[in-house]
Amino acid sequence: MPLNDTGYAYAVGRIRALETRLLDKSKLERMIDAPSAEEALKVLAETEYAGAVAELADVHDFEIILRDEISRCFALLLKMSPRPELIGMMALRYDIHNLKVLFKAKYLGVTADLLMPAGTVAGEKLKTMVEEEDFRDLPGAVRAAAERVVEEFAVNRDPQAIDLNLDRVLFARLLESARAARSAFLEGLFLRQIDLANIKTFVRVKRMGQDREFLKKALLPSGLIPAGRLASLLDEPLESLIAQTAMSEYAAVIGEGVRDWLEKGTAAHLEKLADDYITAYLQWGRRSPFGFEPLIAYLWAKEIEIKNIRLIMVGKINKLPVEAIRERLRHVQL
Amino acid sequence: MEIRVNPTRMELNRLKKRLKMAERGHKLLKDKRDELIRQFLILVRKNKELREQMEKELSAAFAKFLLARAVMTAETLEEALMYPTRRLTLAVKKQNIMSVYAPRFEWGEEESGRGEAGSIYPYGFVDTSAELDISIETLSGIMPQLLELAEVEKAVQLLADEIEKTRRRVNALEYVMIPKIRETIRYITMKLDENERGALTRLMKIKDVVRAKM
Repeated sequence: MPLNDTGYAYAVGRIRALETRLLDKSKLERMIDAPSAEEALKVLAETEYAGAVAELADVHDFEIILRDEISRCFALLLKMSPRPELIGMMALRYDIHNLKVLFKAKYLGVTADLLMPAGTVAGEKLKTMVEEEDFRDLPGAVRAAAERVVEEFAVNRDPQAIDLNLDRVLFARLLESARAARSAFLEGLFLRQIDLANIKTFVRVKRMGQDREFLKKALLPSGLIPAGRLASLLDEPLESLIAQTAMSEYAAVIGEGVRDWLEKGTAAHLEKLADDYITAYLQWGRRSPFGFEPLIAYLWAKEIEIKNIRLIMVGKINKLPVEAIRERLRHVQL
Repeated sequence: MEIRVNPTRMELNRLKKRLKMAERGHKLLKDKRDELIRQFLILVRKNKELREQMEKELSAAFAKFLLARAVMTAETLEEALMYPTRRLTLAVKKQNIMSVYAPRFEWGEEESGRGEAGSIYPYGFVDTSAELDISIETLSGIMPQLLELAEVEKAVQLLADEIEKTRRRVNALEYVMIPKIRETIRYITMKLDENERGALTRLMKIKDVVRAKM
């Protein structure tokens, strides 16, 4: 690796300190057991979120805390990482989200107010780009995808195609950057995310009763499980997916998750297992003392934490049964 | 109680005509009321059935939606649903149930895109939860029934109003109008008879006086 690994020593040190402030399982459990949303928020007020919680006027606005937290987290990591572009890479998701929003808003003729601030390109700038259909300032692959979206939408006016195209380029771009950074760790991460997304997509498309052509469009290319192989399984019962992947590293996720889906008709468990799988994968990166891996692992841990908080808060506000919340709660590794 | 009228034969005839009219009206309105209630009951039963079914399906769909919401960010969820693939056109026409004009909905679904073979899901798969699929599927499936429910429910409301009005009219005729007219008729008849008797007595009296003088 060309990079001097000690460059990360400072950042890793800080991450180690920050990691201890992530919500642990007992805090989350206490939030779940809280009798009301207000009580759950009080638990949150004992943690790093204290300041944000204090400013909150209404429990229903808890999303603001989460949104600010993710932006803050990105800003912090960008500042302390000696190679900010690696962190920027992780924020590409938000750019893609913003692009989707802007495209849809443009075609609907409404103003876009769902932009996420964590993206690498400022919202206003993206907005002008989409409005003028001039994507010269975007990185190569994204630019091509944006142009393709414009082209395709003119023909078929299908909003799903916007999402599919942009999702596809997101992962293509992530893989490309990981390879450019010569990081097997990152490449592995993205490949696994692609696979897990594809498995979920596969089952969903199958349930929707769509045909193979559609599935091919919906699957992300270049995962560890070739998209073609998944597509060829479409006409067979779901059990054969389990059998076919029994030898792969996803055997546990697919076996348990898909079976649960077949039995209960809900994908909750599969989605949880998929997230847990990524958490476990990042675990070995976390231990590395001198690399950027702990930063990525921290970012993921933060995202999972936010996911968990959201799950609990939505659950508490709407009085979901405790088991429904608990079975969807993502595993936290500390 | 009775209507103040001049006790004349002309008035009596007029009142008799009114009584006949009122009785005929009463019968007609009563028939109308019975038929309205019959129609009403049919609709109410249908309404109950539809409503129970809708409530069951909707609460299931909302529960799924809630779960999808719980695992997705607000922005992602709204982005996913921002651009609908279907557009519903609704034309409101009138239908005549016993001269109650209830709305009749005619709807058509048109795809706003000419894309993927009628896909009802306007979003990509990477960031969205599978629980959203189920929710969208249910909601999209029950749209026609929801419209039907709206139609039936409105008809039931209008019919209930109409029944109320008709019942009031029937009762007014039955318990107020008709007895009143009858009473008045009796009064006039009595008055006229009284007059006649008076005139007769007077005549006889005069006859006596005249006879005595002769």
